[in-house]
Amino acid sequence: MTMAERRLLLQLKDVSLSYQARRDHFAQGVHRVLDGVSMELYQGETLGIIGRNGCGKTTILRVIAGILAPQGGVVWRQPGKSCALLSLGLGFKPALSGRDNALLAAMLQGSSRREAESFLNDICDFSELGDSFDEPVKTYSAGMKSRLGFATALKTRVDILLVDEVLSVGDVSFRKKAQEAMESHVGGAQTVIFVSHAAPQVVRLCDRAVWLDNGRVAAEGDVSAVVDAYEQALRGTGRNTDATVKSPTLLA
Amino acid sequence: MSLAHTLSLIDTQARMSLKCEASRYFLGYLWWLLEPILYVVVFYLVFGVLLDSRGMEFIVFLMCGKLPFVWFSKTVVKASSSILDHAGLIGRMDLPKAMFPLMVAHEGLYKQVAVFALLVAVTLGAGYRPTLAWLWLVPLIAANYLMIVAISLAAAFVVPMFRDLVLLITLTMTLLLFVSGVFWDARALDPAVMELVFTLNPLAFFLDAYRQIMMYGLPPDVPHLLGLTVFFGTLLAIMFGLLHRYSRFLALRALTA
Repeated sequence: MTMAERRLLLQLKDVSLSYQARRDHFAQGVHRVLDGVSMELYQGETLGIIGRNGCGKTTILRVIAGILAPQGGVVWRQPGKSCALLSLGLGFKPALSGRDNALLAAMLQGSSRREAESFLNDICDFSELGDSFDEPVKTYSAGMKSRLGFATALKTRVDILLVDEVLSVGDVSFRKKAQEAMESHVGGAQTVIFVSHAAPQVVRLCDRAVWLDNGRVAAEGDVSAVVDAYEQALRGTGRNTDATVKSPTLLA
Repeated sequence: MSLAHTLSLIDTQARMSLKCEASRYFLGYLWWLLEPILYVVVFYLVFGVLLDSRGMEFIVFLMCGKLPFVWFSKTVVKASSSILDHAGLIGRMDLPKAMFPLMVAHEGLYKQVAVFALLVAVTLGAGYRPTLAWLWLVPLIAANYLMIVAISLAAAFVVPMFRDLVLLITLTMTLLLFVSGVFWDARALDPAVMELVFTLNPLAFFLDAYRQIMMYGLPPDVPHLLGLTVFFGTLLAIMFGLLHRYSRFLALRALTA
């Protein structure tokens, strides 16, 4: 099936976004995050967005999810299609138990209270928290928090799933399990936009890729060609990928 | 997000937030009652023991003013920064922005149930007897809550636009404490001045109405109450509209300002 035959779910045309960044008292600078970005997303595909830290990856997901409005350009989403960011630890309150936080997060992700309650056992099992599930999240280690966050986030059911650097959670064995769960979630009929600075993940998961650089689309199309160009540019500028800099927590 | 889901989410969030707050203190939920009781004890010590002259009547008079005032001021101050306080969540989901001040107001309402129960208990303990006029407390509290919600939404809308307003809102609360008749009786003013105070400051009208009902068994000024209900109902509708219309701009302000 060619791209043209597939159903267009989402289209960005010449999208720009900037905001006032305060430099000093009474002095404002303009920070341009997205500069004329255009892209399309088709039903059932997994689109990768790759780029360095600060290139506008998170912002573009926020624009797509309808959290932010672009100042220029058009975002078109097929009417009636839902769209959400897969978020770890959505609004976690440290003083509440893992159970309460999971309930709240599942409700924020669109589940009714009853549905959310029915998820709790699954979330407890998947996150391997055991008795700690009923203890306050402030007593959790960072790994436990990410596991709870990931298990809760897996319950998101939307037409377009937006994933931001989600696989770098927990210890090695949990990461493997998370990766498998993620891949089975991503595979099949689910339409996904997957954002990462890590080329291998994008190559493995995505059908198509967009390379974002300084708020502009530097390349798009076949995933291996785009990733090659991205890696070449990184080598060319002598910069490393920001894997070492970026913390594993998401959109914090 | 459907209305039913939003409402259930607001309720769950408010209850979780109360649970969170209670878990922070050793005495937990008991503070809902302890805090207003301590107000009463302080009033009793200052006005009943130290100043001696004024007796139980003045304590009930003060409580009818102070407790609804605290309800209003605490809710509005907390709601004013509610959108900024939830920037983390706002950066991840396109949520209706009215949800955040509504959560705060709803949380305050839960607590206020305990406070009003205490107010009634003290009023009865002081020898006042309920009359049929006490039924007016129901529409009065409803209209008072409407005012609190409408102003909370307005405060939550303006603060992300201009953060310094948080300071002004806090200052305004101090001013209102003195001009709303918490410590003095608006009825002691010249009738024309009293009308003017009630017209310009709805809070003064509400505090006086609580006293008229609970202490003297008199119904509130119904046309005035209706007028306030229409006014704050309109303000509420406008604020819902503005929060909806500028939802994404508010998100940008919360994330970047």
